[in-house]
Amino acid sequence: MKAGAAVGRRAGITGKRWVFISTLAIMGLLLFVPSFHNDYINLTFRNILMYAAMSYGWNLIGGYTGYVSFGNVAFFGIGAYCSAVLSKTGIDNVFADVGLALVMCALFAIVVGLPILRLRGHYFGIATLGVALGLTDLANNLDFVGGSGGLNLKQADQAHFYLYYYAMWAVTLVCMLATFFIARSKLGYAFVAIRENEEAAQVLGISPTRYKVIAWALGGMMGGAAGAVFAPANGFVDPGTAFAVDNNVFPIAMAILGGMGTASGPFIGALLLSGVNEILQEKFLWLHSLFFGAIIVLIVVFLPRGLMYLVGLRGGVRRWLSDLRAFRV
Amino acid sequence: MQLFLQNLVNGILSGGILALVALGFSLVYGIMNIINLAHGAYIMLGAYLAWQLFTSFHVDPMLSVPLAFVVLFAFGYVVQRTVINRVVRAPVLATFLLTFALSLVFVTIALFIWTGDTRGVQTSYAGANFTLAGVTVPWAKLLTLVVALVITGLLYLWLHRSKTGRAIRATSMDVGAAQMVGVRVAHVYGITYGLGAGLAGAAGALLTLSYPLTPTMGDPFLIKGFVVCVLGGLGSVEGALVGGLVYGIISSFATQFDVTILGQHLSGTGLQDVVALIVLLLVLIVRPRGLVGRATA
Amino acid sequence: MTEARDVCLRVENVGMRFGGLRALDDVSFEVERGTILGLIGPNGSGKTTMMNVVSGVYKPTSGRAVFEGKRIADFPTHEVCHLGIARTFQVVKPFASLTVRENVAVGAMYGRFGAKRSGKDAFARTDELLESVGLARVAGRPASDLTIPDRKRLEVAKALALDPELLLLDEVMAGLNHTEVDEALHLLRAVNERGVTLIVVEHLMKAIMSISKRVVVLAEGKKIADGLPLEVTSSPAVIEAYLGSRFAKRQQQERERQT
Repeated sequence: MKAGAAVGRRAGITGKRWVFISTLAIMGLLLFVPSFHNDYINLTFRNILMYAAMSYGWNLIGGYTGYVSFGNVAFFGIGAYCSAVLSKTGIDNVFADVGLALVMCALFAIVVGLPILRLRGHYFGIATLGVALGLTDLANNLDFVGGSGGLNLKQADQAHFYLYYYAMWAVTLVCMLATFFIARSKLGYAFVAIRENEEAAQVLGISPTRYKVIAWALGGMMGGAAGAVFAPANGFVDPGTAFAVDNNVFPIAMAILGGMGTASGPFIGALLLSGVNEILQEKFLWLHSLFFGAIIVLIVVFLPRGLMYLVGLRGGVRRWLSDLRAFRV
Repeated sequence: MQLFLQNLVNGILSGGILALVALGFSLVYGIMNIINLAHGAYIMLGAYLAWQLFTSFHVDPMLSVPLAFVVLFAFGYVVQRTVINRVVRAPVLATFLLTFALSLVFVTIALFIWTGDTRGVQTSYAGANFTLAGVTVPWAKLLTLVVALVITGLLYLWLHRSKTGRAIRATSMDVGAAQMVGVRVAHVYGITYGLGAGLAGAAGALLTLSYPLTPTMGDPFLIKGFVVCVLGGLGSVEGALVGGLVYGIISSFATQFDVTILGQHLSGTGLQDVVALIVLLLVLIVRPRGLVGRATA
Repeated sequence: MTEARDVCLRVENVGMRFGGLRALDDVSFEVERGTILGLIGPNGSGKTTMMNVVSGVYKPTSGRAVFEGKRIADFPTHEVCHLGIARTFQVVKPFASLTVRENVAVGAMYGRFGAKRSGKDAFARTDELLESVGLARVAGRPASDLTIPDRKRLEVAKALALDPELLLLDEVMAGLNHTEVDEALHLLRAVNERGVTLIVVEHLMKAIMSISKRVVVLAEGKKIADGLPLEVTSSPAVIEAYLGSRFAKRQQQERERQT
């Protein structure tokens, strides 16, 4: 699989231990964000955590299993709508929201995954994109979920608003730890074996269908949980926010930047990319996308394998340049 | 019967432009293995070029089509040689991200020059149409279809007859072998990417006849182009044409779809893309390489 | 047949067509438990296709392959190894980004006894195997860094990690030099002595003759000989298939002149 090549020269399923420990330490620090009592800072970091959780979700199917999905936003949207519908029926409880989102996303992943995970490579990618677009149109046309007008959710009062931050933090932490432990378990080896060579994996006793659906469903549940917390925190859900293009592309970009198929990559990618985006937005207002785009261009051109490549690099600048040259024609 | 014919004609008319959009996308995808997310931005740039010429010098958008093609071709060639070529052999996700970022840059620049206001081109024949056997055909859409078909035909001939065209097809089959027989791959890739951008630009200029302009106008076309190109079969000219027409016809007929399930009223006009996407999924499951797909993965 | 033969694999009238191409045509043979069967034939004779049928990758278009009373085609590919059949690939297929140790461990995790093994047990089993096939020294290296002989060893180790009763080896000696071939033969004998039945597909006549107890020869999808190695090499049909009809005729004439 092409996607697997991005893992580069790093051998073995597990990354460097110190990288993950540092990631956990930063995660620990983020627990103190609400103590700034600053709405802007809260929102910014909640978004970072949200993107990280979505990126972890994508990383399981795209990074570990090698099935590059362009439609994982579908799960985020389902999660967000689960909360909105619960709120409509009078239930406003984050635990209930996340619980329902997990169940719905798992079911959706299994029903949709069984046919489309038979497709390989680009064809799988386009099918997932189709699924996400189809759901967007469906949400636009279902009165039950408010159609294109969307639904309002009852929010916690100002004094308890930081609870949403903690909920998102907890979701992200669970995604991170789940990824870490899955990667070291038998399950993780099944995913990577499928990514590296599906036929060989099959002969070694791995059922590709079963493990691809598992990866897709677990990843979907991660994205769904993020959506379920986002909806009440945002107070409003419509097809445009639930299935936003940014919510589809950013998590992929973050996983690539941080390192696909690693337990730290999505979080580091989310932190950096969102961080840069926020700073630029602050400084340049609407022109920030220009600089944001330019920075991503530079990163891809100079670090096409993501940051984790640097961690595993032996041979210094010379090796780096010669690796880069291999990508030209 | 009348309704059936009208839907069929509407589908074919909108399918032509989709085919043109998908064609450029498919070339770049099939030959260079790049999912070119900047394709929508090139459509937008072509459209604004035509709009600018129309507003400033009263040039008919039809006349701007070849110009948009040439300008965007040159632009695409330069972008490929200076930026994309540096990572063209990196995993497909690297170029995916790169072209996304490029598109962000182009759209922001367009926003700076032309602002986010919705623009439009008012030609003398904008609303004109004629009726044949009870079927209404707008002149602008018919003209668009004809131009799209002509461009597709010319491209097909060029790819199969000209020396450069053959070099491009050879490169798509085996880069190493093409290099060995003296094909300058970097140049070929530049031309391919330039063609992709040029076709997008031409499509954009054509679109000004029937669609409003905004800096993000390319996004829905990018996605439909992506779908059409896979529906038809990657990297194939015929595939893009067949896929575009099929997509256009399906979504046209889907507008007739009107049901109420469990008290939920679903009207076809909003769901035409859902129907088209469901067809895409079915096609992929039955024919994983697209309608006229060949054995390139 | 007077003595009761202990057959573990029975290939019965297997035919395999791809479109108009007939890759296998009514091939039957039996494999006794604990033996080493050589499967030879010129290029394109259907050896690898036969391997794919026995390992469940292909479902035969006619006939059947039965292992321990079970029809192989009734099982999905990933369950065939749970029956006790393992195979190597002619074109080696390592998991490139994983280490050698991890590559083998995947087999130990999902193979015949995989369900009963924890991750830790799988790695313990892996370390024993790596020692026995001589890969312990490169256990921590990425599989993509290995030399050709080591890649072949890895392929065998991955298959052994499935704890097979029947092991199919598809050209594991191709591309090796003399000493490497000797090492490989030594390894295969050792595996066989531990009770694993082997089917060895090979292009190299010499290597296969020295190790096989029985040899089956395929040519253009048909079985043309089946017997002891010496019997098979003197069969005119085999000589013709391998060396062309003119050579076979000349040899025939020579033999007649001598008598």
